[in-house]
Amino acid sequence: MSLAVETEKLVKVYGNGKTMVKALDGIDMKVPKASVFGLFGPNGSGKTTLISILVGLLLPTSGSAKVLGFDVTRESVEIRRRVGLLPEGFGFYDHMTALENLVFLATLDGVPSSQREKRALEALEAVGLKDRADAKVSTFSRGMKQRLGVAQSLLKDPELLIFDEPTVGIDPEGAAEFRNLVRKMNRDGKTILLSTHLLYEVGMICTHAAIIREGRLLVQGSVDELYRSVREAKGFRYEIRVKPGSDMPLQEIRSIPSVIEIARSDNRVTVLSKNDIGSILFSLVTKNPYKDIVESLTPVEPSWEEIYRFYQEGG
Amino acid sequence: MLKNALSIARKEFADAVTSKRLWLIAGIFLLFSIASTYSTSFGFRIGARQTTRPMVQIASSIASATAYMAPLLGIALAFDAISGERERGTLRILLSRPIYREDVINGKIMSALAVIGLTITISSLAAVSVSILLHNISVTVDDVSRIGLFILFSVVFSFAYYALSLFVSTFSSKSSHSLVISIGIWIFFAFILSIMSSFIATAILGPPPTRALTLFNMSRRQFGNFTTPGGATPQELEEYLNYVRKVSEISGAIQAFSINYHYTQITSSLFSFVAGPLGFGRGEITIASIPTILSTRLIDIIILIVFPIVFLVASYMVFTRRQEK
Repeated sequence: MSLAVETEKLVKVYGNGKTMVKALDGIDMKVPKASVFGLFGPNGSGKTTLISILVGLLLPTSGSAKVLGFDVTRESVEIRRRVGLLPEGFGFYDHMTALENLVFLATLDGVPSSQREKRALEALEAVGLKDRADAKVSTFSRGMKQRLGVAQSLLKDPELLIFDEPTVGIDPEGAAEFRNLVRKMNRDGKTILLSTHLLYEVGMICTHAAIIREGRLLVQGSVDELYRSVREAKGFRYEIRVKPGSDMPLQEIRSIPSVIEIARSDNRVTVLSKNDIGSILFSLVTKNPYKDIVESLTPVEPSWEEIYRFYQEGG
Repeated sequence: MLKNALSIARKEFADAVTSKRLWLIAGIFLLFSIASTYSTSFGFRIGARQTTRPMVQIASSIASATAYMAPLLGIALAFDAISGERERGTLRILLSRPIYREDVINGKIMSALAVIGLTITISSLAAVSVSILLHNISVTVDDVSRIGLFILFSVVFSFAYYALSLFVSTFSSKSSHSLVISIGIWIFFAFILSIMSSFIATAILGPPPTRALTLFNMSRRQFGNFTTPGGATPQELEEYLNYVRKVSEISGAIQAFSINYHYTQITSSLFSFVAGPLGFGRGEITIASIPTILSTRLIDIIILIVFPIVFLVASYMVFTRRQEK
């Protein structure tokens, strides 16, 4: 597996003596190329510190990290040449227009002068702000500034995009637009590392995820792997919807050896099993007497709250 | 590296020349300079003042205005140079580009030097031009050289405060803190230290010899010129002058910690006539030549140059080593 980011035993300590705080405590993280990698953790868990180290804004206390094959301590400029960053709590020059801001930043990104304005306009178009190119940033709403933030990260056409809490403070519509943009960029082959404290965001757009808490990585892997681990540990859940008013006989389902629990409410039956019994249930509900009563059978994925709680409690 | 620093400098310069803050300070600067030169040159015109070198005295009045305004100009440009970027979150965006931290600080310094240089040069030349045009004051080559040197030293002086304020800005998280600290340091150097130095000198030497002081004051009242002693014996007068000299020495030694003191020493040498001992009204005799001034004020010039360098180095060290999340 080709990696965009790889860290090994990464430690970051702030302060010293009594004021010492270990922000990162031996992080081993692997972000596959062309993935949307969600770095989930509560506020203060070390996400921003980790991202700052990855782009060379902070130096690690110990351990090592490589981004796109470049060492974060020795080759941070090379990393920033190839990585688009949307930092948390960023700002723009309010007295300048959106286009002026982007052209200035494109200059620092090393974009040739003949292409700066074109690239800036393309980035504005990608985030739906092209019609506001000549408006001063001071007139922008928070959501528009956030989109402009994404636009500035696209200027250098980066291989890897790192977004730190990108949807904080923007309305649901803006957040949905942002997620669509992330999906589109990922389809275009870009790797996206997304830090968030919003669990649902991980579930909605990420192909891979890691959970960080108090500077430690609790788990990482593909989203499917994370679901599977939780299911294996907590059981497989299925939901059977039956026609309203019909009486569903449950004896046959109860007789499946790995079934732990069956719960019924209205026209919904929930089955919890130690093992994956999806195929058994399917063959069951497609024959009599269930065939005429059952409307649907769906496996229920664990929620991200469950996944987080599961790993927080030690996996 | 230079390319990135120049890009930042260009943006900073454009921001500065369109900034209301800079125009306000430059306007006050210009107004003060023109007002002080106008009143001086008007004095010559109506005959209230007489001198063999009118432009030197006019430039001297510009120097008085510059001594107060140049530090404010430097502070106005620097107090939020780094802390403002930090507050607005633009520093994070800047530092996420493929540039070095030095580029950011170098760009800001280049722009500040250009703005300070232009503001002081334009203000000083405008003030001098007003005198030349309105009151027919003639200018010699020596005058032009002195004004040129004055502008140069004033730019360095203003830049010294820029460097000091930039240093404060590098470790401040809020621009308001940086502004208060910078203005506080300016007030201390410009006003408090000179008052303190007199107090300390008097505390060390004790009160002046009373009889000598009384007789000295009497003689001044009676004759308006102490070279004609009015009752004070030559010994008493000498005793008093010795006391004043010592006060001046101690006070000068204390004020040597202030950059303002060194700047004033240089500019007053450039534009002052060599007078009698301690300058007590012996009248104009001559004006020291530029090479003489440069050699006698070499220490002041060195301190004026070293001061900003020290704070620039400190700013570099703080800013480049500080880790921004």
